Amino acid sequence: MRTASELNIGERAVIGDVDNSHPSFRRLLEIGFTPGQEIELISASIFNDPLAFSLRGTLIAIRKHEARCIILL
Amino acid sequence: MTIPTSEKTNLITLVGPPNSGKTTLFNLLSGKNFKTVNYPGSTVEYSTCKILSKFGIESNILDSPGIISLCPNSPDEEVAVNSLYNHPEFGSPNLVITTVDASQISRHLLLSRQLIKSGFKVIVVLTMNDILERKGFKIDEHLLTQLIGCDVVVINGRTGEGLSDLIKIIKAKLNHLLNSNSICLKQNVERISKEELLSEYREIASIEKRIIIPVSSISKAQLDNVNKNIKILNPSAKYGNNRPDELTLKIDRILLSKKWGLLFFFLIMAITFSSIFWIAEPFMGYVDNLFSYLSSSAANILGANWYSDLIADGIISGTGSVLVFLPQILILFLILGLLEDTGYLARGAMLIDRPLSKIGLNGKSFVPLLSGFACAIPAILSARTISNRRERFLTIFIIPLMSCSARLPVYALLIAFLTPQDKLWLAGIILAIIYLGSIVSSMIIAAIINKFRKGIIQTEDNSSFILELPTYRMPRLKNVFRNTFENAKQYIFRAGPIILVLSIAIWFLTYFPNHSPQINTEGLSDDEIVNMIAAERLSSSYAADLGKFIQPVMKPLGMDWRIGVSLLAAFTAREVFVSSLALIFKVTDEENIQSSILTAMRSAKNEETGKPLFTPSTIIGLIVFFIFAMQCLSTIAVSKKETGSWRIPLLQLIIFTSIAYIFTFLTVNLIRFAGFS
Repeated sequence: MRTASELNIGERAVIGDVDNSHPSFRRLLEIGFTPGQEIELISASIFNDPLAFSLRGTLIAIRKHEARCIILL
Repeated sequence: MTIPTSEKTNLITLVGPPNSGKTTLFNLLSGKNFKTVNYPGSTVEYSTCKILSKFGIESNILDSPGIISLCPNSPDEEVAVNSLYNHPEFGSPNLVITTVDASQISRHLLLSRQLIKSGFKVIVVLTMNDILERKGFKIDEHLLTQLIGCDVVVINGRTGEGLSDLIKIIKAKLNHLLNSNSICLKQNVERISKEELLSEYREIASIEKRIIIPVSSISKAQLDNVNKNIKILNPSAKYGNNRPDELTLKIDRILLSKKWGLLFFFLIMAITFSSIFWIAEPFMGYVDNLFSYLSSSAANILGANWYSDLIADGIISGTGSVLVFLPQILILFLILGLLEDTGYLARGAMLIDRPLSKIGLNGKSFVPLLSGFACAIPAILSARTISNRRERFLTIFIIPLMSCSARLPVYALLIAFLTPQDKLWLAGIILAIIYLGSIVSSMIIAAIINKFRKGIIQTEDNSSFILELPTYRMPRLKNVFRNTFENAKQYIFRAGPIILVLSIAIWFLTYFPNHSPQINTEGLSDDEIVNMIAAERLSSSYAADLGKFIQPVMKPLGMDWRIGVSLLAAFTAREVFVSSLALIFKVTDEENIQSSILTAMRSAKNEETGKPLFTPSTIIGLIVFFIFAMQCLSTIAVSKKETGSWRIPLLQLIIFTSIAYIFTFLTVNLIRFAGFS
């Protein structure tokens, strides 16, 4: 099972699910990380955290532990 | 739940996700006469005003902080959402206007639909249609009106086009509402399940599919117009492939790259940091001179009596001590405003988030901490951008440890005592060590406080960093200037009165009871007499009594009551330390105040032991004291305002001043133990 935290820069993937057990899951859904959406890892900060994703026509930075609960198809 | 809507005047609340053009719309509706109000017990800021009279609507309009959904994620958002339902001062709104970025409709419609479902009377305003058109699409707003069941208006934020349509709809809605006194609100959004949220998204997606149409399906004339303005037009493109702005992606490939990202970050921060000092310095000089001039003119006009001294030294100088930092604050907010409006600030926060999260801070703490090197007051105000309450309070907590500009005159004097005249480079190195030391020690203290946060910060919530990185754009100078002006105004009107009152109190303590002492004036010039009287008055004042009272505390540090009084005076503002030393050690030469203080300091003897009072060990001890001590009344006042209680500021005062005292004690005695004076 691959998560968004394992994407390489420039790689695209489609979201399969978002893990409900994570405290930030609701906010991730509300900001647009929903199943079926295509995301692309645009850049990673130093130490590979946080990560910036392209999503629904905008850029959103999230921490790696938050990216870990975004499960890819 | 049925809540009576505000009875006095109509209330329209503006709600919208961050970066959806909400503030631009507020500015269009309000003109320039808005004021910011605080929600009681917290720091969520609202702007409120009357709608411009030219629109002919009798209504207040309230601009609330950006929210993503009605289900709050942080304490600040919680307050924002609660106040939308029932603001303690304004009641609940007759109308809610929500902004939706047309190019982000699949994300932004979530909030609009939640508002409609909760029973608010909603008008949706579509903004940034030009961005969508650049991609070759437009929104069928009539169809959207039908599909979501509320009025939809398209507005161009730059030209104001569409504003008259909005006004018409507002008027019609308000007239309609006259007949019913209450609206029915459902406050049930809080705990909707994941499934409900996902089905909501599916509905929004099906709406989106129907309302977004290629620009080509509109008239030929309009198409030509768009073609002329926008070079890329691809009517056959499918909307599904919605990519961020290409230029933004290109810039981010450099500014957010692993290799260059941090380098550019520190470069931009270094430029920000140095310009706060270099650009502001001459202006601070002007302000200082102006108030010195006003103060001495007032003293000349009113003559020599106590009320003349009160007005000249207490009130005018007190006001001056507030306004002297205004240039720094203006420049700081101007640069930060420019960085924010271009879209860089969000990226800076992302780059530094990881290291700061290690010590319990957040990427969003960096800008406030950096501002702290200029002045703790705007720095504490700018900590509002941190949504997590614990991280925000911890940021506010350690901001006073950043070496603010008010410490510079003090360090300058103390370093000058330590270093020979011909070795200026040594002074530079010592100053650099002091700055580095203050950064390192503040990070250590942040880490320690983070360990004990349950007792100190007393607030806990999920630490997260989810931040939209907005599209890069040219800063809108009008908005930036306006915000800069607003922030400066807040600084003056919030901290100002408190600083003023306390300056008068300190003046009183240093002036009474012996306000016109008798001295031997034989063979002295007029200036010397004035200075002798001032010095005599101080040494027999209440402040001196207080100084003698704290003598036992100063003794272990190798210092006496005279330094104690100067340190006490420095609790109003740190730079007061220098002028206070000048008064106490009877410095009379006005022309070159620093070198004459130095001479007086070198010849000063400890009144008990008869040994020199100022030695390298006491001077280094004083530097250590100023690095840590919480010596600024304005900071305490702003810290209280921003955290909503006295807890944090009192803990700052106690903890930082204790650390300062203990470290000074250790420094002085270790140096002496090692065999130096």
